Amino acid sequence: MKKLTIALAVLMSLNGSSFAAIDWESKGMQMVGEIVANPSAFFYDFQQDLEGTTPLPPGKTFSVQTGLFPTLLPMSYLNLSGKYRLHGEGRLAPGVPQLDLIGGYCDMYAARLVARNSDSIDSAKLNGYYLGAILSSSVSPKIRTFWGYKRSVLGAKFEFTPGNELDLLGTKVGNVDTGFKDDFLMAGIETPKGINKFWSMQLNYGVRTQTFSTKLSWYGPHFELGLNIYPEGVLVFHPVWNFHVLF
Amino acid sequence: MKKTILALAMMSAANSYAAVAEDSKIFTPYFDMTLMEAAYLPSKGNIFSGGNINTQVGLLSKITKKDSLFGLYSFNYNGPAFQPQDTKQFTDRDMSHGFNFEYRRSLGEKFRVRPGVSFVTNYARSGANEAWQNGLYNMNSKGGQLAADYSFDFERNGFLTATYIMRKVEFPNYTDLLREFKNADNTAETSGGLQDQLLTQFSLRPNWNGFFAGYTYTQQVYKNQMVVDAHSGVYGNTKQKDKTTTIDGGFRQRLWIFELSPMLSYSAHRSNQNFLRYKSALGGDITRMTEGSNDITMVPKNYDYNEASLIVPVDLNVTGKWAIGGALNVTRRVYTDRGARDVDNNYTLSKQKNLMSTLTGSIRKRMNDVATVRLFYSIVVASSNNKFEKYMPSNYTGNSVGVAYQLSY
Repeated sequence: MKKLTIALAVLMSLNGSSFAAIDWESKGMQMVGEIVANPSAFFYDFQQDLEGTTPLPPGKTFSVQTGLFPTLLPMSYLNLSGKYRLHGEGRLAPGVPQLDLIGGYCDMYAARLVARNSDSIDSAKLNGYYLGAILSSSVSPKIRTFWGYKRSVLGAKFEFTPGNELDLLGTKVGNVDTGFKDDFLMAGIETPKGINKFWSMQLNYGVRTQTFSTKLSWYGPHFELGLNIYPEGVLVFHPVWNFHVLF
Repeated sequence: MKKTILALAMMSAANSYAAVAEDSKIFTPYFDMTLMEAAYLPSKGNIFSGGNINTQVGLLSKITKKDSLFGLYSFNYNGPAFQPQDTKQFTDRDMSHGFNFEYRRSLGEKFRVRPGVSFVTNYARSGANEAWQNGLYNMNSKGGQLAADYSFDFERNGFLTATYIMRKVEFPNYTDLLREFKNADNTAETSGGLQDQLLTQFSLRPNWNGFFAGYTYTQQVYKNQMVVDAHSGVYGNTKQKDKTTTIDGGFRQRLWIFELSPMLSYSAHRSNQNFLRYKSALGGDITRMTEGSNDITMVPKNYDYNEASLIVPVDLNVTGKWAIGGALNVTRRVYTDRGARDVDNNYTLSKQKNLMSTLTGSIRKRMNDVATVRLFYSIVVASSNNKFEKYMPSNYTGNSVGVAYQLSY
């Protein structure tokens, strides 16, 4: 298998050499342009990285979670999330799915730091929250499907000091109060990868703005490794590392 | 766009078999999610990324021994990618939501009928900077189907399916910009609704022991779009009507450590629409394409083509977990009347021919009973005798490398 991987890599690099070099500068300019055009959408993707949108493992009642990468580091999102199981699968009556409540809060520390050290920005806040619920139901001993809803809100507020207002085509803008919010529907499937270890794949779809993402997650008793994909985002792949404690 | 509609209609027909397996359970869920993300490096233009997401969620409810209900929701997203010539731009992306509801009634041991309804909303946009709701080619479709299955060999899963589909297809945002420009006072009535159509499709598909074949006939009758008269060059009184006939065949077999699933299809697309090409609006008289290219050239039957495609995916199961895969995908389209154009946008006497070949190498890992992951590398070679490539590339090569996940239950 290793030989094959090497052969494939060599083939790719040989083939690549016959093509025009990648213009990273223009690609970078394009990405910066996309961020400037809709900065809230760019930061919103990071908020989704820290959101805990998988159901609690069977037998667990609640959990506490914090996003480590790319949220706390390098984006400086101070964040805390929680899940609480209202009832377990089949507890109320046979076949009734497990119901979890989910929620969390995040605040970008770097935004406050920028305001503190800048003469032109009076105050800057970038914070958000999410609330929702997840239903999960086993369809076989090794497979659980889950369905959920979450309301996810990101607020971004910047105030400029007098005399340093933003000049937009001759108009002075004293403060910018923007953000991003949407109601998401979630659908996913989970399968065990070992004792107390799971793998899941899910789709999140925002019904108001047609924002969507897919999350691939590997999680155990303490950590969650994820690969979040935002096909229409500036950074398509977000490798994710979250820490959680389950009770 | 026509291809998208056809694909959507065919997808809904194909979905009908998706959860055929019925057991003694009252509720049988169906879940299939495929996720692909890749980087594309074309010989013309810069690197870009794109992906596909295909999610199907269904539930089969068995009401009685003979009656059941099947509901299916499909989410499809097709991001930027290399495209066959004359279809889409590399940067185009579309997203659709489809709802299918089907009632299944068994008639004796061998027969089953499946009437159903379908609702699809499709969003299309040419870049991430557009809003999904404003896409020029956004589409809504609704309609019904009647399908019948006849089982002739229970041991080897032999059955024959006949399906009739009818869809009312609307493009709420579509407008003819040239007409709006020329006739600014009267836009909504003459320029809107030109893509609206009634689509009907009949298909017959036999399956036996992993072998399958199909005959599909599709007719698209446009509600408002008139045909450009081949002699005068102005819109006449005849409405546009397109017909597509497709035959296909293939098999899915396991031979020792090989998994093979080749498929061959041939389709003939015919439209009564003609095309008046303006190379320059200042040109004089209209000439027919066969008389030589001019500033204003009439191309009768511009949209008629025959297309053959061959797909040969092979997976070699090295171990129970790992497989090495290869796939060849060749699509050849020959226009029956449309001439190829030279670099200066002049028609030549030879008919336009497009060829697109994709060769893929991959490594597949089976993560467990329901999930697989595949790393792949593809090389695409697109060639055409159409050399006018100011708006759409016809001749290019491209590399892509990506990862695909599939979870199916």
